[in-house]
Amino acid sequence: MLDNLTILEASKLIDEKKVSALEITNSYLKKIEDSKKLNCFITVSHDKAVHAAKETDNRVSKNNRIGPMDGIPLAYKDLFCTKDTLTTASSKILSNFIPTYESTVTNNCINKGAITLGKLNCDEFAMGSTNKTSFYGPVVNPWKSLDSDEELVPGGSSGGSAASVAADLCIASIGTDTGGSIRQPASFTGAVGLKPTYGRVSRWGTIAFASSLDQAGPISKTVEDAAILLQTISGHDNKDSTSSQKPNEHYFSNLNSSVKNLKIGIPKEYMSDDLPLEIQNYWNEGKKILSENGAEIIEISLPHTKTALPAYYIIAPAEASSNLSRYDGVKYGLRTNEKNLIKMYESTRSDGFGDEVKRRIMIGTYVLSSGYYDAYYLKAQKIRSLIKKDFDNVFKDVNAILTPATPNTAFAIDKEEKDPVKNYLNDIFTVPINLAGLPAISIPFGLDKKGLPVGMQLITNSFEEQLLLNIAKNIQDSINFKNEPKCWWK
Amino acid sequence: MEFDKNSTIKLAKLARLSVNDNQLNSLEKDLKSILKFIDQLKEINTEDIDPTSNSLDQKLILRDDIAENTLSNEDLLKNVPESELGFFVVPKVIE
Amino acid sequence: MDDWQTVIGIEIHAQVNSKSKLFSSSSTDFGSAPNTQVSLVDAAMPGMLPVINKFCIEQAIKSGLGLNAKINNKSIFDRKNYFYQDLPQGYQISQFKDPIVGEGSVEIEIEGITKTIGIERLHLEQDAGKSLHDQDPNLTFVDLNRSGIALMEIVSKPDMSSSDEAIAYVRKVRSILRYLDTCDGNMEQGSLRADVNVSVRKKGEELGTRCEIKNLNSFKHIGAAINFEVDRQIKIIERGEQVKQETRLYEVVSNKTRSMRSKEDAHDYRYFPDPDLLPLQLEQDWIEKIKKSLPELPDEKKLRFINFYKISGYDAEVLTSDRRISEFFEEVAKNRSSKLSVSWVASELFAVLNKLNLNIENSPVSSSQLGELIDEIENGTISNRAAKEVFEEMCNSEKSVKDIIDDKGLVQISDTSEIEIFINKVLEDNPENVEKYKNGKTKLLGFFIGEVMKATKGKANPGLLNQIVKKKLDN
Repeated sequence: MLDNLTILEASKLIDEKKVSALEITNSYLKKIEDSKKLNCFITVSHDKAVHAAKETDNRVSKNNRIGPMDGIPLAYKDLFCTKDTLTTASSKILSNFIPTYESTVTNNCINKGAITLGKLNCDEFAMGSTNKTSFYGPVVNPWKSLDSDEELVPGGSSGGSAASVAADLCIASIGTDTGGSIRQPASFTGAVGLKPTYGRVSRWGTIAFASSLDQAGPISKTVEDAAILLQTISGHDNKDSTSSQKPNEHYFSNLNSSVKNLKIGIPKEYMSDDLPLEIQNYWNEGKKILSENGAEIIEISLPHTKTALPAYYIIAPAEASSNLSRYDGVKYGLRTNEKNLIKMYESTRSDGFGDEVKRRIMIGTYVLSSGYYDAYYLKAQKIRSLIKKDFDNVFKDVNAILTPATPNTAFAIDKEEKDPVKNYLNDIFTVPINLAGLPAISIPFGLDKKGLPVGMQLITNSFEEQLLLNIAKNIQDSINFKNEPKCWWK
Repeated sequence: MEFDKNSTIKLAKLARLSVNDNQLNSLEKDLKSILKFIDQLKEINTEDIDPTSNSLDQKLILRDDIAENTLSNEDLLKNVPESELGFFVVPKVIE
Repeated sequence: MDDWQTVIGIEIHAQVNSKSKLFSSSSTDFGSAPNTQVSLVDAAMPGMLPVINKFCIEQAIKSGLGLNAKINNKSIFDRKNYFYQDLPQGYQISQFKDPIVGEGSVEIEIEGITKTIGIERLHLEQDAGKSLHDQDPNLTFVDLNRSGIALMEIVSKPDMSSSDEAIAYVRKVRSILRYLDTCDGNMEQGSLRADVNVSVRKKGEELGTRCEIKNLNSFKHIGAAINFEVDRQIKIIERGEQVKQETRLYEVVSNKTRSMRSKEDAHDYRYFPDPDLLPLQLEQDWIEKIKKSLPELPDEKKLRFINFYKISGYDAEVLTSDRRISEFFEEVAKNRSSKLSVSWVASELFAVLNKLNLNIENSPVSSSQLGELIDEIENGTISNRAAKEVFEEMCNSEKSVKDIIDDKGLVQISDTSEIEIFINKVLEDNPENVEKYKNGKTKLLGFFIGEVMKATKGKANPGLLNQIVKKKLDN
């Protein structure tokens, strides 16, 4: 009864007093304990979770349950600072960091009664799309290919967040998305992954990768759960100057799956011969479903699509190079002892950061440095304007855009990619959305020939998360995909 | 200017990263590959285009000037690698 | 020396007198225990974000208007990236390409000649923490209480050509900021510091290589550092060598400047717009509202003092250079002789303040007390000389002016008949001098007056005395 619960199902069980929050929590803690092979969790907050579950049960017994999130076991990407709980960003440099404060996102969840199961593995400082850059080792995708026993990547950077939902180690999780870090792993693991509009969710207390692109969002089993979670974590925060002042919405209660008379754009630039046939097929199926359900499918053009990825790999590293300067061994985190300050900085940072992080810091440093700023950084910011304008133009004609979420499905962890740029191509469909600050959702469509999940991406205009969720629900209800990989890891 | 080994060394210094000779070659190769990738943008005409540094279309929110000290010295130094008498401590710096 | 020219540009760092920091709510109080006014934001804890202080923006606008400068409706906060132990974020939030305030100017006066010094810009930025190098032989201690405090960096054009001009410029800017109440100008506590760029060149030649002397925190040091630096640079060039562009420190003990070792690394600050902040857009209405609230500034006030109080340009300058002094003076001079008021404020009171090393705010004598004293002089109750004695007592006690006069018996003798008694006695005692006077040695008038004063213990009304003695002798 307690397997593969959604938030809605669990909430109902708690409401009806059929199961206590503690029973649910304990069942998840047990599953986490049994699933170490997947390497999803960096920290399991056993005591914290049990304590919180008892509090929920206390409220329930007095008929004082806060709402649908009360008693729901969640887990968070280890990028969200959690008070008195180790927070590492999957980096050695923060491997001993225990915040004295709670991020706005996790605090919002806690305030609604959610139970913190623990902190989820991810790519180091969210830099990666495989989860292999984590200091704590790679997360393993619960899904396996039908024809091979190889362990697969869950995608990244929110790999632990996605894999833990697919493996049912938490009911849902929160990740962050800078260039696709929620949508790509959600797609690789058969989960629903939502990246909200930039500014919808506060970044306060979330360890920064690229400040102008980072946005937290839910990874869940269903669109309904995504709606509840978005409602829970979003809203204005006066501690974040880039937090939107637009009022929060009741995404869940306003869910309406009708797509009648909506116009759905299909960007021709997202189509290429390199795109695996099965992904093309699911894309076509998406068009068919929406069209059958009353939407109009329109071919559109986003002419600057190809420039998004190189622009992203200028802007994100530039911001990151500066954001990661604070990890210098002086105030917190790792410190390598040296007699001289500069040596101390260099040793600490070289020892504390992994290779991908170092590469990005150096590229970021380069594109901002004197003599190169205009050619790289400023240029990329201008490209960003062009990309945003592409979307602005398109949204004059369509309500939403449907694209594949990723150009491939999950691949083997052991597949070594020598050229870092090849890895960057995983983000090709997701990155433009971050540059434009738009909301997008990745929804599972089915399995490819190898039995691996394929996800599609829906995009709407800024702050139209409600519409995004509505269309996603329409697709979900039409497809009926179940995210239940065969359990091999226990 | 061609990106070379010296550029890599200079960048590492600027970013306060130490790179040993073994790492230097592969790092240089990686960086060159990334630079080649982002150099694609040079072909795009961006004349007269304003840069976007943040996509959020909103005025900067201003805070009232109210002072409150919310963090104790103890909490501030909770994660500190080294401290003395309430100070952060680093190897001797000569100005 | 005559064919050398000095070119000086100055960056003033003025601390905004806000209660909380530029991007966090921590207090800006001076002198607290180390690291007790440091928020999560100031310590650059992971995930922390800046939120700007409205008051600091208002103060920057006000200062810009006071410096006759253009206020930019849109300005941008940038990150200036460098590693240093007192810079927790690894970058300073500052303004680079688009500062909040653009070009302006101030006027300085040296020996009666007015010169306009151009202002390049004013921008807001975060202060760094403080390093203590003398606590341990192997360690540097870092206190972040200052970290994140709002500074206004005011950059001049290289329009000054001597240490006197440089000092006059810093004095003037400080005075304006204090008038506006945007910075307390306390140089000892570091609320106002100057970085001075100095270069020398032979007349008619191209600009020389400049050196920047950092963190000068008194007028005396500014002057001494510039003078030393000019001398040093000239000597280098005269030896046929070249001045190296560098950052230097002024050392008080040796009265020399020296190269700063920690700044030897080539800089590449990698400025870029802070993605945690959006552009700052100012409504014209707000700027206009601030403009209307501006107080009378030193230049205007000086002109008014000259015209209204009929005092000299020099006195007006002295009395208006500081807002509190000018206000003190106006309280004293209200409905009183401006000549007496100037002399009592600018000479007597200033001498006492200097001696006790006090500001006008902590003056031992209030403006109303000093006014009462002047009243007693004006109505003839006491002589100027007696007034000085009263004043001295006022500085040391809480007693009222009247009580001091009574206690010391300093009331002036203004009764003609009483004075005549003393005069007659003196004339009788000195027949020879009376004779000499009558024969033309009129200089002896002073002798007689002196004798009477001696006899009256200085209490004779000097005007009356003079008049009566003269009358008696001339008869």
